[in-house]
Amino acid sequence: MISRHQRILFWVLIGCILAMAGLLFWERERARDRVSALADATPIDAPYTNTESITLDLANDSDGSITAVTRQIALPDEATARARALLEHLVAEYALPGSPHPLQSGAAIDDVFLLPLPINGHAIAASTNPTPTGATPTSPVADPNALQPQTPGGELAVIDLRSNFVNAHPSGVEVETLTLQSIIGTLHANLPQIEQVRFLVDGQPRETLAGHADLLRTYPSRDTTVPDVAP
Amino acid sequence: MIACILALAALPCLAQTPTVPAAAPAPSLAAPPPIPLNRGVILLDPAHGGVDSGSRITDSIAEKDVTLNLAFKLRSLLAARGFNVVMTHDSDAATEPNSPNPLTLDDRAGIANHAHPVACLLLHATAAGNGVHLYSSELSPTAGEPAANPWLTAQAPWVVQSQKLQKQLGAALTRANIPLVMSRASVRPVDSLTCPALVVELAPDGSDATSLADASYQQRVAEALAAALVFWKNQAQPPDRLPAAIPAAPATTPAATAGARP
Repeated sequence: MISRHQRILFWVLIGCILAMAGLLFWERERARDRVSALADATPIDAPYTNTESITLDLANDSDGSITAVTRQIALPDEATARARALLEHLVAEYALPGSPHPLQSGAAIDDVFLLPLPINGHAIAASTNPTPTGATPTSPVADPNALQPQTPGGELAVIDLRSNFVNAHPSGVEVETLTLQSIIGTLHANLPQIEQVRFLVDGQPRETLAGHADLLRTYPSRDTTVPDVAP
Repeated sequence: MIACILALAALPCLAQTPTVPAAAPAPSLAAPPPIPLNRGVILLDPAHGGVDSGSRITDSIAEKDVTLNLAFKLRSLLAARGFNVVMTHDSDAATEPNSPNPLTLDDRAGIANHAHPVACLLLHATAAGNGVHLYSSELSPTAGEPAANPWLTAQAPWVVQSQKLQKQLGAALTRANIPLVMSRASVRPVDSLTCPALVVELAPDGSDATSLADASYQQRVAEALAAALVFWKNQAQPPDRLPAAIPAAPATTPAATAGARP
């Protein structure tokens, strides 16, 4: 015959065992979440800072003008991400109802690359033979046509546009030129280290934006709010 | 007797010979010839054509039709004012001469450069904005035309003249009460032209895009342009041709000598 106090002790011990098991299970879940959070370093959002004042050069189709306007937006610190975010904000302005330079809404910029100037070409060295793998060795040369910086630290911005944006862009000399000038002027106002700008579409060179404005040339970065021609 | 006859025969020649000031320097043998400019020739390039219809103005109006109609109106007005008008194409087909191949932008520039016109007008049309948009090249002007003028920047020596022509046409359009936008743009093939060159983009009269096909509106614009080109005829000045750079003699190095051997 089991005494009463032994039965009480037994059930207390059972209770302690269950409580301990529950505690262990809870701690294990917490530890697993903590470890998996540390292992997943995939960036979800660019590291944004607080909002800041930036300048957008906005185009107007009715009089062919470019006007600088100020906006308060948050931008990433990293230069290429900053340039891309700037241009996305710019195109988003044009997609608003009543825009004086209406463009289709949606993502327009695939990527922006900033390359330090000068950009040297590569030439086949005359005195070298192909390697055993068949590759022809190349060496940097002093290219007379290389893009040169105006000031030390000058950069070339290569803007890769999305084909969806380009294919839906309105066609015409004025409307296409204003879009390019707006992009160039906005970069010039906010990223002064950019001295020259080139354009790609889905990573490939394309002749024109929508049948008129030349996309194959290198554009100098400049203040596009100043009229090119005095009336 | 023979000497007298020769002397008499030489008199008319001497009379026609311009008097050269004694102080004038003798022309150098290396001086490049001046750039030809046919003051009686105007080049018109109606943009697009054939399978390239340009921008879609409305469902029933294509850019290529507007530019060709404007070019025809301008041609007749200029011909009436004594100009010889060269058009890069005068039908919708826009093909190379005696060939079914479509006219490329470089072909158009080649036709213009061979004619040495006093003005080249590249005609475009758009539904955006209103009035007329005049664009000159975005290239930076250079002092003169180099002996080896790169194709993609051939317009650079002519940019100053193009801007003068732009102001002249702009003033004429303003006098005709036609809204005007003047700027600079990179629109091929304007950068490859060796003449005073402008992109003339016709935009709607007001906000109605169908006005682009209105014959009276096109006629009004063409008359303003033709009147200005009459004055421009005697004002255009070709840039100086720069002398060819003398290539430096290559330095003879042992490696170069060895490389030259067969």
